[in-house]
Parts: sequence; C-alpha cells; structure tokens
Amino acid sequence: MPFRDKFYHGKLAWRANSEGGFVPVEDAVVVVDKLEKVFSGDVRAVDSISFEVGRGEIFGFLGPNGAGKTTTISILTTQTLPTGGRAEVLGHDVVKEPSKVRKGIGLVAQELTVDDELTGRENMELQARLYAVPYSEAKKRIDELLDLVKLVDSADRLVKTYSGGMKKRLELSEGLIHRPQVLFLDEPTLGLDIQTRTSMWEHINKLKKETNMTIFLTTHYLEEADALCDRIGIIDHGRVIALDTPEGLKKTVGGDVIEIEVAECDEDILEVIKGMPGIALLDGTCTGNKARIKVPDSKTSLPKILNSFMSKRIDVASVVIRKPSLDQAFLEFTGRELRDEESNSKPGHKDQSTSRGRFRRRR
Amino acid sequence: MIGETLALIARDLKRWYRTPAQIILVFTTPLMWLLLFGQAFNIGRLAQVDGTGMDLRLVFGGAPDYFSFMAVGQTAFIMLFASFFSGVSILWDRKFGFLSKLQVAPIPRSVIPLSRIASSLVKSMLQATVVILLAASFVLIPGLSGLRFSPSFGIVEAAGMALFLALLGIGLAALFVALGLVVRNEETLFGLINLLNFPLMFTSSALIPIALMPDWLRTVALYNPITFVVDGMRQLVFSTDVGAEYSVAVDMLGIGVFSGLMIGLGAVLARRALLRN
Ligand SMILES: Nc1ncnc2c1ncn2[C@@H]1O[C@H](COP(=O)(O)OP(=O)(O)OP(=O)(O)O)[C@@H](O)[C@H]1O
Ligand SMILES: [Mg+2]
Repeated sequence: MPFRDKFYHGKLAWRANSEGGFVPVEDAVVVVDKLEKVFSGDVRAVDSISFEVGRGEIFGFLGPNGAGKTTTISILTTQTLPTGGRAEVLGHDVVKEPSKVRKGIGLVAQELTVDDELTGRENMELQARLYAVPYSEAKKRIDELLDLVKLVDSADRLVKTYSGGMKKRLELSEGLIHRPQVLFLDEPTLGLDIQTRTSMWEHINKLKKETNMTIFLTTHYLEEADALCDRIGIIDHGRVIALDTPEGLKKTVGGDVIEIEVAECDEDILEVIKGMPGIALLDGTCTGNKARIKVPDSKTSLPKILNSFMSKRIDVASVVIRKPSLDQAFLEFTGRELRDEESNSKPGHKDQSTSRGRFRRRR
Repeated sequence: MIGETLALIARDLKRWYRTPAQIILVFTTPLMWLLLFGQAFNIGRLAQVDGTGMDLRLVFGGAPDYFSFMAVGQTAFIMLFASFFSGVSILWDRKFGFLSKLQVAPIPRSVIPLSRIASSLVKSMLQATVVILLAASFVLIPGLSGLRFSPSFGIVEAAGMALFLALLGIGLAALFVALGLVVRNEETLFGLINLLNFPLMFTSSALIPIALMPDWLRTVALYNPITFVVDGMRQLVFSTDVGAEYSVAVDMLGIGVFSGLMIGLGAVLARRALLRN
C-alpha cells in the first residue's frame, strides 16, 4: 500500500491480540495518520490521532461527550476536511478521492436522518437508489433487512409514526442496503432501551460473522464496547489515550481483585500469600476480616491461595472475585469516570468547554 | 445520475402531496388574490367612468380587463413562491440530517440542487396550470370577472406560456435553492426571501400596469425578469401586441438570460455550500 510506505516508512502498525501480544494489522481498510481537526475558535476536536482498522474487524471508539468521535467519523466519511494529517479508507485518501471512498462505505449517523414523511420502505428504496442498487436486488435486500431489524409490520407506515428506537433500527438497515465494505456506526444504540440495545448488538455481531464487514463504531457505553469490539480506542479530548482489545485494556488496569473473608485478617495472612510461589501479588490489604488481594489472574491464583490457606488451617468464610471492568480502565486512563460525564450528558458547547478547561488545568 | 435525481424528485413530490395542508395553502394565496384583489381592484372602471373611451388594452398589456391582466401575473407569483419553498425545504433537510445523508452518498454533488429545482418546477407548473384554469372558469360564474383568453389561443401559445413559466421557475428555483444551501439559519433565509420578494413582485408588471408607474419605477420594471415573463405571456394569451413592452422573442430572450445567470450564480453558490470544510 503506497500510502503506508509513505507515512510509516516501512513500519507496520500493530494490533493487540487477545493474548496481550501484538500482531501486525494486515489488510488495513482504515488508515489514520496524525489526523487533526481544529475548528474555528481553536477547538481541537481531533488532536493528532493515528490508528488502523483491519478488514473484518469491529473497531470501537469509546469516549465521553465531546471527545471527538463524531468529528473523526465525519472526516473518514468525507463530510469534513481534516486540518492536518492523513486518512485513507479502502485505500483511498478521504480528502483527495472522496467519491471513491463514498462508494465503499456506509454510515449510520448519530443524528436521525430518515425522512419522517416517507414510509420505512420508501426510505429504504430511496437509499437503495442513491447507492445504485439494482431494483430487483434492492427489493430482496429491503425485505431481508426489514426482517433483520424487525420492522416488517411497520414498513409501510410513515416514519413519523415510528418510535425513536424504530427509527434508529430503520437507520441501521439503511446503512446496510448497499452492503458496504466498511460500516461506520456513530453511537448505534444511543437512546435505545436495554432490550433493543441487546438485539442491536446481536445484529452487529451477526453481520460481522456473516459478511466480514469492517465496522467502526463509537459509543460511550462501556458494556457496548466490551460486547462488540475486537479492539477499542479510548478517546478523550481528541486524543487516543489507549488502544487495545477489551481484555488487554482490562489487564492494564492491573488484574483481578480477590476478597477473602477470614476470621481475622492480619499481616501474617498477607505474608502467607506473598511467600507463595507462582503468585505475582500486585497489592494486598486488610480491611476488617477481609483480605483484598490483587493478582493478574484470579483463575490460577485463587486455587493456590485456597490450598495454602487450607494447609495452614486458616478458615475461609467467603470468596469474592472482582474482574476488572472497562469502567476502571477508563478511570485509570482519563482520570475520571465515564459515568460522571454521562450523567450531565448532551451539554451545550459551554458545558463541554468548562469541563475541558478543568481537566486541562488538572493536568 | 438520472436514477438518483429521479429518486430525489419522487421523494420531494411525495412529501408534497402527502401534506394536504401545504397544497391547500399553496392554492389559497393565489385564489385570494384572484377573488379579492383581482375582482375588487377593477381599475378599468375608472377609465370607463372617465368616459374618454381610451383603449384599456393599451394599459393592460393587451388584456381586455384588469382581472385578465392580473390573472396572468399571478402565475409568475406562483413560480416565485414555489421557489421560496424549495429554498426553505433544503435548509430543513440540512437541519434534519437528510442533507448530510446525501453528502455521504456516492452521488454527484450537483444532483442535490438539480433534483430540488426539478421538483420545485413540477409543483409550480402544476399549480400555475390549476390557477389559470380556475381564473378562466370564473367567466362562467355570474357576477365574477374571469380570465378571457383570445379565441385564437391554441396549443402553440400554451406551449409558449409553459416555456416562459418554466424558464422563470428554473431561474428562481436555482437562486433560492442555492440560498437555502448557503444560508444555515432559517431567520436569515426568511429575511432574505422577504427582501427579494417585494421588489420582485411590485417592480414588475404582474399586478400593476407599467403605464401607471412613475418613470423611475417603470425603468426598474422594464428589467424585472417577471416583467419579461408576464409581458410575453399576455401577448400569447390575448393574441395581440397592443400594450406590450417587448416582442415575444425579446421577452423570451430576457427571461432566458435571467435564467442562465441565476443557474450560473446558483451553481457557484451551491458548489461552495456543498464543499467540505
Ligand atoms: N462544527 C463545529 N464547530 C466547532 N466546534 C465543533 C464542531 N463540531 C464539533 N465541535 C467540537 O468538537 C469537539 C468534539 O465534538 P464531537 O461531536 O466529535 O464529539 P463526540 O465525541 O462525538 O461527542 P458525543 O458523544 O457528544 O457525540 C466538541 O468540543 C465540539 O464542541
Ligand atoms: Mg458524537
């Protein structure tokens, strides 16, 4: 790929695999290199980010409001020009060859774009014609997709009579009508109830399995990133601050926490664990009658610990394992909880800039 | 290119005929003009009262009475208002995300304004036809004046009228669709429309005979694109060049040039507005 040679000087980008190792990103369909977007008023929405997405991968951007997720998508889908850096989608430069990029991609935007005054089916038909899908083929696909998003019964109703979730589902099926090679999903489940969200996840996973489609999605739901993505980029203030598999991200947080309830917890008990072979104790504290132990892998450590407790006749009342969550990962990387940001979500520009200012000062 | 354009035209028309309120409103305004203004403002009477026996056709661009005069003028307004609506509708499409959907789609950018101009033209030509037929049918209603066509009005004249209206409609729609793309804010667009609306309407000979205008206004009116259109159409409808300002050919040339200029201006504006930034 000439672009890569030019900008990576023969160096390959690396993708983390689930074992915590790294493998080169082969057949990258999205290549982003030092991409930057500065809006007027010196708003750095995207601040020199670089990453690659391999074919068939589900890649997720996880970040709070105003992090720069939509702006990145908007550049990659040829709606906005970057102010710096380069981006290629399917081997075509998004700045120089927008029409070639457009042919291979699909976008389900964050905002609803379906036409309220048309029926669901008419919306799909229009989309099919905009993407030059032959009529008979379009007809077939529309029926399939409406079935997939469970809108068959309401297909011939005007979209203005749809609920928000129905519109979002229609929007998703519209993005699929031309079978894009790369599908961009900007917050695909925003505003959906748990049930619809889960079924949306199912659709997306199914799509990946069946079609080897590459999916680039953004979300500020940790569960969503965890459930869907092969790799996650944590983005905040226009920067990718971590990029790894969900497992890898959790690992960097520092492993599992095991809470063991004993008759009385003291230094001796912690010493017992510290002295055990094959256990890399990361942290150990006593709170009341509970020993809190942090280890890289609870699956193998816990049996060893329990065995040695038994041989030393220490009675164990209960055991709790806390797996690291993306919540923790996010906290670790950004210095704040994603949920805080979410609770006052959808703020105006003012709110975002003040929270940004606060964060910058803290740094 | 053709496929996408037709699909978008169909979409615009569906939105239109599914909103009966919009259709009713679209016909109410011209009908009010015809019924209230056209019937009441019968300035032809003044000349009759005066008793000088002057040829009214000289004042009314060949029309036998004021109503016939202004009924032809009404069709130009229909083109004007339909173009306003198209401009506003494309701004709404931006607001509701539909435009960004089109911008991501692999279609030539020009399809976006062209399809809107075309759908605007379909709507406005239909409306103009209906209004002309209504105005003509008033003749049959006792107590009302109606649009009195010349007996020699035929298919050629009708086609000529359609061409005049279409050229006006294309030029105006090109301008307002481009404005709808450039302007991002409704208030500004409405303000602009208002700003253009009055001069276009009242410095033309659509409602007010040029003969009655003060000199300065007459000079302006003679270059108003609407004047070319109504001047030409009246000659076709009443089969006479009595009271005409220009020959039909010059009228056609005038509106053709206007339309061409507006398409050029619209293309420049729309291109800029659809460029990424
Ligand atoms: N057109 C614009 N002009 C100026 N600033 C903008 C513009 N669009 C976005 N921004 C700013 O860029 C930053 C990133 O916005 P962006 O929409 O990409 O965030 P996001 O990650 O998608 O957030 P959300 O989760 O709320 O959708 C924000 O600070 C926003 O205010
Ligand atoms: Mg966003």
